[in-house]
Amino acid sequence: MNYSLTILEMAVIALGLGLLLLDLWTPAGQKRQLGYVAAAALGFVLLFSFSSLVDSGVTATAFNGMYVQDDLALFFKRFFLLTAILVLVMSVEFADCIPTGISEFYALILFALSGMMVAASTNDFSLLFVAVELITVTFYVLTSFQRSRLASLEAGVKYLILGALSSAFMVFGIALVFGTTGKLNFTELAGVAAQFSADKVFLLGLLLVLVGLGFKIAAFPFQIWAPDVYQGSPAPTTAFLAVGSKAAGFVLLLRVLFGAVPEVTAHWTRLLMAISAATILYGNLCAIPQRNLKRLLGYSSIANAGYMLLGVAALSRAGQSAVLFYLGGYLFTVLAAFTVICLVMRRIGGEDISALAGLNQRSPFLAVTMTLAMVSLAGIPPLAGFFGKFLLLKAAVEQGAPNHAYYWLVAVAIVGVVISLYYYFGVVRAIYWSEQPADLSPIQISTPIKVCLCLCVLGMFVLGLFPGVVVNVAANAVATLKF
Amino acid sequence: MHVGLEHYLVVSALLFCLGLLGVVLRRNLLVIYMSLELMLNASNLALVAFSRFNGHLNGQVMVFFIITVAAAEVSVGLALIVALYRKRQTAHVEDLTTMKL
Repeated sequence: MNYSLTILEMAVIALGLGLLLLDLWTPAGQKRQLGYVAAAALGFVLLFSFSSLVDSGVTATAFNGMYVQDDLALFFKRFFLLTAILVLVMSVEFADCIPTGISEFYALILFALSGMMVAASTNDFSLLFVAVELITVTFYVLTSFQRSRLASLEAGVKYLILGALSSAFMVFGIALVFGTTGKLNFTELAGVAAQFSADKVFLLGLLLVLVGLGFKIAAFPFQIWAPDVYQGSPAPTTAFLAVGSKAAGFVLLLRVLFGAVPEVTAHWTRLLMAISAATILYGNLCAIPQRNLKRLLGYSSIANAGYMLLGVAALSRAGQSAVLFYLGGYLFTVLAAFTVICLVMRRIGGEDISALAGLNQRSPFLAVTMTLAMVSLAGIPPLAGFFGKFLLLKAAVEQGAPNHAYYWLVAVAIVGVVISLYYYFGVVRAIYWSEQPADLSPIQISTPIKVCLCLCVLGMFVLGLFPGVVVNVAANAVATLKF
Repeated sequence: MHVGLEHYLVVSALLFCLGLLGVVLRRNLLVIYMSLELMLNASNLALVAFSRFNGHLNGQVMVFFIITVAAAEVSVGLALIVALYRKRQTAHVEDLTTMKL
């Protein structure tokens, strides 16, 4: 058994525990600075993940094959580390709105991060369950962290009830899969899945597992929680939920569909396509009337889950790598948007779109960043969102010749993109062309936040203009998956 | 009467459905939460039964994971419900209406 494979996760957990200890010796006034300490330490872990000690280039397993370290796992671990760094810096800015326990907030982000990293390496249903629960239970606390705000508590309780319901379904599904096949390990399951592909109980079990994962990625019809939880949570939590938790759901989905039961997945094309189309339409249509910025991005995140499911439904290597690429662009775009929201909205109670009025005078930098994020989300060239959507649609069109339903799915996705132009440009309009802004005081931006926002903008442009490197990395990462 | 795998599975499925009914029909957060635990325990029963009758130990180990995780989930969940009760003086789902379209 090779425990050294889990060194990245152990480093993150040790960092989280260390942070809780450090909190005891830090004067109250300086506790918010611990976020920078944690972000810097995660930066070292991220750099360390590129060293040959971790990235040896060969697939290795630990804990009797439960845990696998391959290119896919490393891609997602770096993705989660980068997300957590940006979220931590954002949390430091948000510390004013959290009266007590800011160090615990940082530590919980780190624990959720460790859950996501374990999820990236999952190769067994028991590890899948533990990873999902580690993420979800931590997020219950992160969601309701502003205990003095009713909306935050309410979001936490809604997430709690629906999250526990989805994990109950998932556990029952795992029990049925175990009962019919006697296997929990993905690799072992892949060996026997073909002979069970007509077994109703086995298929029901897998469907119930998909319910649990569908909840994590907020796919239709398990998306009910997303708008309320996105709206009520503290802004850094929402950002982490939108990027980290969703990506963890997708890596688990890829592992289960293409690692454990590829033979069954091949029969589920129609189901996946229907879910993808419904998710795209639901997210985009419901986003139109929204006035609350975080709720709007909640619906937008549902729609984006739909686009990524399109890549999963394509059942091809191109589709899988397109999902990874899209997630990369989504990271920079969404984190840029939420950082701006966090900076603009922390002084005022609400999150109405009208609060963005006059942002181009208050801080041209934030205005440009928010505009770029919206343009990227809307999928307009030359930003990351455009190229990601292009790759996803291309993967689906390639599959269209044998199965014409893919053309319909692509048509639905394009309709969705057109609808989304309307509400994303509503946000841009609020920044530049709204009348009578009440408050024109300039917004102070600290240097770390400036660096993070520049990184996000750079990421959006690089992924949009020079996508080659990341496309290759994503293609290598999915090489171990079957379809 | 010989008690076989089917009997355990029927009980497990019944427990699961009762739990689901409780979640859907009841309006008190604590009762809903209790029903959720019932659903988790239905899965535990199924896993142990499968383990016992098919001769694999993996399922029983999985049950230990589930019990541990469920305990963590309950502690967080109850704390959350208590915090909400202090703020709102209610534990009914109809009153969770701060955020609407």
